[in-house]
Amino acid sequence: MNPKTKKILIIVAIILVVLGVFVLLYQSAGKEAFIRTALSGLTLGSLFFLVAGGLTLIFGLMDVLNFAHGSMFMLGAYIGWQLYTNPTFIFGLLPQILAFAAGVTLTSTIKPYLIKWNLPEKWVKALPKMGYFVALVMAVLSFVGLDIMGLADTAMVAVTTTTVGNPLAEISVQEPLAQYWFRPVLMLLSGALIAFASSKPGNKTEFAPNENLFPKILVPIGLFVLAIGATLIRESAPVAILLMDGNWRFAIALLVSILFGFVFGAVVEITLIRPLYVRPTFIIILTLGLSYVIRELVQLLWDPLAYQMVRPPQFAQLGKAVNILDWLQNGKATIDIAGVTFPTYRLFVIVLGILMFIFITVLMTRTRLGMIIRAGVQDPQMVEALGINVKSVFTIVFALGVAMAALGGIGSGPFLPIQPLMGDQYQTQGLITVVIGGMGSYVGAFLGAMILGMARAFGDYFALKYSLSTAIAEASTVIIMVIVLLARPQGLFGKKE
Amino acid sequence: MNETNNTSDLLVVDEIQTFIGQFHILEGVSLSVPRGSITVVLGRNGAGKTTTLKSVLGLTPPRMGKIIFDGMEIQGKRAYNIANLGIGYVPEHRAIFRSLSVLENLKLAERKKGDFHRHSEFIFDLFPDLQRLYKLPGNHLSGGQQQMLAVARALVPDNKLLLIDEPSEGLAPILIQQMMEAIRTLSETTTILLVEQNFIMASQLAERYIIIDDGKSVEAGKMSELVNDTELIHHYLGASIKTRKELEALHES
Repeated sequence: MNPKTKKILIIVAIILVVLGVFVLLYQSAGKEAFIRTALSGLTLGSLFFLVAGGLTLIFGLMDVLNFAHGSMFMLGAYIGWQLYTNPTFIFGLLPQILAFAAGVTLTSTIKPYLIKWNLPEKWVKALPKMGYFVALVMAVLSFVGLDIMGLADTAMVAVTTTTVGNPLAEISVQEPLAQYWFRPVLMLLSGALIAFASSKPGNKTEFAPNENLFPKILVPIGLFVLAIGATLIRESAPVAILLMDGNWRFAIALLVSILFGFVFGAVVEITLIRPLYVRPTFIIILTLGLSYVIRELVQLLWDPLAYQMVRPPQFAQLGKAVNILDWLQNGKATIDIAGVTFPTYRLFVIVLGILMFIFITVLMTRTRLGMIIRAGVQDPQMVEALGINVKSVFTIVFALGVAMAALGGIGSGPFLPIQPLMGDQYQTQGLITVVIGGMGSYVGAFLGAMILGMARAFGDYFALKYSLSTAIAEASTVIIMVIVLLARPQGLFGKKE
Repeated sequence: MNETNNTSDLLVVDEIQTFIGQFHILEGVSLSVPRGSITVVLGRNGAGKTTTLKSVLGLTPPRMGKIIFDGMEIQGKRAYNIANLGIGYVPEHRAIFRSLSVLENLKLAERKKGDFHRHSEFIFDLFPDLQRLYKLPGNHLSGGQQQMLAVARALVPDNKLLLIDEPSEGLAPILIQQMMEAIRTLSETTTILLVEQNFIMASQLAERYIIIDDGKSVEAGKMSELVNDTELIHHYLGASIKTRKELEALHES
């Protein structure tokens, strides 16, 4: 039999088996229960994929198993939730962060000049160390006296007040500009010093490409302007955002989480992971440690409590929408699907998962970046030899993966309790999903996530129906993994090594 | 080898030393590649020929020594920076991207958007097979087609130098002939540095040679002189010429 017909036969067989399973489930559960459970399964599968999509993308290209992915999912939820309920925290810290970034991004502009300096050997060694030290001191100084806890704390006040009464009264904890101005200035200087130190002045063995520097200086200038803007709107922006329509606020929260995830991912990749590519085991330990650091920081700021994010109005009005149109117009909390009442927000989670899958598919098959990623999975060295900066592609892919996790976090925010451990369960599920789907295959990850979600939902349903232990549903995940790995050790869509 | 100051050389490698992990692979390789010529690197298996090419491109950056390409020192630069100066690389074992189609393989190599379209006629003239196959994924190609794709991929319009590693490896004789024709055509517009085990092919193509032995460059000169120097060939390249007959055939040609 030639391999093509064999492949088609296998696919047909799988489809028949899946159909058979669905028919059996339909028969034993009945129509209504079947639809309800299947939709729950899709919701869970979607959540799993929101985590697994980024994981598999990162693992496929870089062989990095990111054990901090769940924490980044959680962090995305916190950041989006903060913007949604009390933007004071984000806007209070933004000027310093932007000013610091403006300083650091000066590196590529000043490096070509600094490395040509003629300095005595002693200074070449001492200057970077001194630079880093002074930069650290400045950064610490710029935060002295800033009430970060207060900024974060108001969130809790705001949560209780958004539901009853006026939240705006609670949010003016920002310092006046006359006391505040030195913080971003110090951060700018600190960043610039780091740029100075990391470009190693006087070090003749360093290399700087001979390029046009003009486009490169635009980045720090742009960030600087943004930092000034952020300083000025520190107090007014949170008020403006809270006055906004809840749906728009939620949309902005989604965007802010994505952006935050992207930047955070890029920073983590450049500063922590990049030096360790030659030691893959260290990366695993590093990401594991990072996940604890993130979790502890979040607990420090917001206490190890669970918060419930208020659903945006579009998903919150009491009542049941008869169809999609009705829901679009009136924004009800539940919707009627073939006779089953189903929460609209869960449908939104399903759509989010599908949109993410479409995004990854388009990215991988239709764009140049996707082409580079597919080529880089096989042979990053050869991609580099074609004149492509593989290091920066790694950074972009890692940042994209983290952005996806952060989107997953805020996307599930109104639906899961927001707490420091919210990502852990989904990270484990995500890792299993990636293994089932085949390491690095996004199609596999999507199918794997849906299979796991379905198994979980139907497991729960039948456990309830026949009064069995609910552990069956939880065990289903591992059982499926074992079966898949026994039949296809490389995963559903994995390639044989 | 006192040609380092000669400005007609496109590439000058001066006493480079390269380590891979803790292994000292190149212990002093020098060579120069004049513009518009084909220069071949000869030597036994494991002598360091491939590492020499990789060191030039920065894939295995040399720890010591100098590399000057087109009047600019390039040792220590990142590989993608070096490649973007105008160096095309055809690796050994034809490392084409198997999951990408022929077209995608070629497009990936673009330095500027549209490079491939401006160049496609030239590429398809050189390798007519590729035009027929351009939608197929790389892993559906035969060995010879993969090798052609690997060469075609390195043909970006502004490449000044091509580094080609063992183009004849594992090819049928008729395909070797075709590959030789292609390389000859390419040499009309580009300078080529070739690594080749097949001495017959190397001697017919190249104008100059460099012999690397045990990580050091030991001999260099004109190909026409090497062909007559049986002793030298035997001393350094014994393993790569399989039979006495081949050598005699060479002498007659």
